[in-house]
Amino acid sequence: MAFFEQLASNLIYGMLLGGVYGLATMGLSLIFGVLRVVNVGHGAFIMLGAFTAFWMFTLYSIPPIASIVMALVIGLALGYLIFMSVMRRLLDAPELSTLLAMFGIGIFIEELAKFFWGPDYVGYSWNIGGISFPITEIPFTKICAFISSIIIAALLYIWFQRTKLGKAIRAVVEDREGAMVCGVDVNRIYALSFALGIGLTVLSGVLVTLFTPVGINVYMGGDYTLKAFVIAVLGGLGSPWGAFYAGFIFGLLENGSYTLLGLIPGVEPFGLTRFVSFAGLLVILLVKPTGLLGGE
Amino acid sequence: MSLWGMQVAIKWINDQGGIKVGDTVYKLDLKYYDDESKKETVQSLVERLATVDKVKFVLAPYSSGLTLAAAPIAEKYGVLMNSHGGASDYIFEQGYYYVVQTLSPASKYQTGFLDMVHKLDPNAKRLALVYEDKEFSRAVHQAAKKYAEELGFEIVYEKTYPAGTSDLSPILNELKATNPDVIIGGGHFADGQLLASQLAELKIDVKAISILVAPALPAFYEALGTNAEGICAPAQWEVGVKYSPDVAKELGFEWYGPTQDEFMKLFKEIAGEDKTPSYHAAEAAAVLSYAKAIEKAQSLDPAKVREAMNDLGFMCVYGMWKIDPETGKQAGHEMVIIQWQGGEKKIVWPTAAANSDPCYPIPSWDEKSAGKICGT
Repeated sequence: MAFFEQLASNLIYGMLLGGVYGLATMGLSLIFGVLRVVNVGHGAFIMLGAFTAFWMFTLYSIPPIASIVMALVIGLALGYLIFMSVMRRLLDAPELSTLLAMFGIGIFIEELAKFFWGPDYVGYSWNIGGISFPITEIPFTKICAFISSIIIAALLYIWFQRTKLGKAIRAVVEDREGAMVCGVDVNRIYALSFALGIGLTVLSGVLVTLFTPVGINVYMGGDYTLKAFVIAVLGGLGSPWGAFYAGFIFGLLENGSYTLLGLIPGVEPFGLTRFVSFAGLLVILLVKPTGLLGGE
Repeated sequence: MSLWGMQVAIKWINDQGGIKVGDTVYKLDLKYYDDESKKETVQSLVERLATVDKVKFVLAPYSSGLTLAAAPIAEKYGVLMNSHGGASDYIFEQGYYYVVQTLSPASKYQTGFLDMVHKLDPNAKRLALVYEDKEFSRAVHQAAKKYAEELGFEIVYEKTYPAGTSDLSPILNELKATNPDVIIGGGHFADGQLLASQLAELKIDVKAISILVAPALPAFYEALGTNAEGICAPAQWEVGVKYSPDVAKELGFEWYGPTQDEFMKLFKEIAGEDKTPSYHAAEAAAVLSYAKAIEKAQSLDPAKVREAMNDLGFMCVYGMWKIDPETGKQAGHEMVIIQWQGGEKKIVWPTAAANSDPCYPIPSWDEKSAGKICGT
């Protein structure tokens, strides 16, 4: 009985975490899908979002959930700035150039953040209670993070499906030349997609702190970059929706496999969950290089 | 900077007249190089100190990794090396004769806390361990586990988690079911904060908690608010410890070196008014131990001074200093246990250092979120 209770509570937590993982990967996938740019500096933008939530709460007592808007605006502006100053010039360069550029920008942002905010691990305590289940306790902050993540993904979906700009982005993803022939200003779409991708990523940093309100640090992004790549590949690189679903799969796998691995005597299940996740990634890449949920 | 603690002790010794060996009085002089935290540099610099500068008493570099790199070089040239920044036990299990330790080794990090709980409440027996899967925290908690069993604790749960994890709930849900009285664990800053924060979220109430590293910093309380109340952490030294000539006398030890007030004053003179000492007390103690041992040996020969260290024991600003003759490991110094009480970091153990009584059992998470703090 204890086994099923634990499995159930781990799966609940895994699902909540998965929602955050999913949204935190959509920006990465969007940028890759539209611009074919691999954003290896991904984690630095998540860190910016985390600090946005932290500072807004610490300095002005603004509830972290409200920082979502602020983070989105910061991210959109920053993304646009980076596109116009750097990425625009590199669009026709080999993929390695854009990869290195994003790597450099990521480090630049982290070091700049360290200069202003210092190397300490900070956090905040936004106590709004929680729900008590017989098997576990779930704080409302985590539920907030999960629900926000779903709402934002849904809004984005509607925007992509219904608006002209959204359709134009999809057209560029499918066929760049074709879109150009139809009169789509591809450079504008690139700028918009890049800004939106970075905006989403910074925003997801706020949700990350709603889930884990402590351990906020200028170098916190590294672990999220790693996980985001796994999730992005799992979801089929370049597909934001695939990434969102894959986030759930990853969260459920990460937490669910813990209980199952714990059944093997003599192993430390937690260390092994990461092994399982990455072994899974390798297998998927070997069998289906376009990703689990990716097209042909 | 590590340098400051050393400079404080050197200034104090020289102001007192220096070290007397026979009829000669020696003043201390510090020769130092920047090792850039590189192992290769450390090795060549220690070699340079021993051969070019003809230094006989070396203060080890900062961190276990660098100390381990420097140790064979000191051993090769027969110069004494005193570790004030390397807590690893491993360094002292390699059979080096000329390497001694001032810092308490990793194996003692959580034992003081267990002693404290055992003394406060012999019935709190159910102990759970949750720690980061890294060399240092493993060394700390393996030793603590062994020590706990000797004290009569029952280990009801033990699991590690990988570095960089963002959700400890799989482990903590399991831990909750084992119904422990006491939890020890942690590893670094981020995971220590996460551990405390998720214990609160999952409302895992226990009588006492000690977490490595994280709670010792003010950022811990800033991040967790009243949830940090009652949480303990081990530290080598803290501003406010009560070690004094009187305490030494009471316990039957000799006192040597500046008092706490003198230490603070000299430190501010050297480092600047805005600086607060932390690990610097260990550095000062390392210098003091050299001075004391040289006077005892009445010789500047490293071999004789090392021998004199074998039965040297004294109390100073940093606490007790006494090595294990066999390994050179620090055996006399006790980790001080800090505990968050009413938003302040108090020293609660050992009794000789404490400036407050331990808060035990700590308030429950529900009580804390209703505003209850330690001491109310």
